[in-house]
Amino acid sequence: MKMLKNAMLQAIVILAAALVLGFTFNALSRNRINPFKNPAKVPVAVSSSQAAVEGIKIITLEEARQAVESGVPVIDARRKAEYDEGHIPKAMLLDYYDMGTYKDRVLAHLSDDQTIMVYCSEVSCEDSELLANELYSLGFTKLLVFKGGFAEWSAAGLPVERSAQ
Amino acid sequence: MKMTWLQGAHLAGGRPGGVGWIYNPFLLLVFRLVLAAVFIYAAVHKIGRPLAFADEIHTYGVVDYGPPLYVMAIALPWLELLCGLSLVTGVFVRGSALVLLGLNALFLVVIARKTAGFMHIGTPFMKVYFDCGCGFGATFAWKKLLEDALYLILAAVLMAAPLHRFTIRFRRRSS
Repeated sequence: MKMLKNAMLQAIVILAAALVLGFTFNALSRNRINPFKNPAKVPVAVSSSQAAVEGIKIITLEEARQAVESGVPVIDARRKAEYDEGHIPKAMLLDYYDMGTYKDRVLAHLSDDQTIMVYCSEVSCEDSELLANELYSLGFTKLLVFKGGFAEWSAAGLPVERSAQ
Repeated sequence: MKMTWLQGAHLAGGRPGGVGWIYNPFLLLVFRLVLAAVFIYAAVHKIGRPLAFADEIHTYGVVDYGPPLYVMAIALPWLELLCGLSLVTGVFVRGSALVLLGLNALFLVVIARKTAGFMHIGTPFMKVYFDCGCGFGATFAWKKLLEDALYLILAAVLMAAPLHRFTIRFRRRSS
């Protein structure tokens, strides 16, 4: 019984330390989220029809390809250097970590009733979702997030555009 | 005085009945290092990407988007990392074994639940294949369930084992 009590006390210490470290790291991380502000409170559409998109919808490679072919404006949330090396054709650069530089220029090309597709590097990057949330808060309510990102797009052999150096 | 099996294991230096060999200090150390490697690797993969990890947890359909999910996405990787480090260093081994026991029991339940969902739509059990969000990529569900059951057993053994040669003990100083 004493053994179990000791184990529980130790477990509580570990749990408390994990909470402190987790929240501290989150506060300092560039991918930080505010857990109490509900960063993904935006409704996520379940229909595969683009016309029905209201909120933020995670899309597959095939849906991304269809969106690009049908002329949906595309936003690249990566760094300029990555964008210059290659991006989805006609994608506009809007570096999530340098919004001030690009925001006005990009938003001037968009209207808030348009469906917009956002992507970043690969499936594990979060910048496309963070940027989509940001755009949602600016009034753009039809957003597609291509989670596979540029890695999946280029690996599938789909067209890639490079910036003139 | 009659003793339970567990108490007996401790007082007899870890030799209860025929399974005393499992409390061999070197074997316990191996168990600790195996669990530590798994959980440290899994934690490192998740730390710093809370939003993506929250999405992965959400796919289990157990917790909806909201503060509890995000707190979990922020703290769970650190909990795994601390448990792993604790097993490597030998500090608070029982506490971290208890946490890992709970976590693995939870993982088993949610993975079994998700697997049942696939089977419900007609996928045979042996062919259910998905990314559990554990940090090791997509795998067959039966394999993941077996792995988690093994980790659960290792954590249970470490929890019940006597404090052995490679652990750090904290004792209250008596005046």
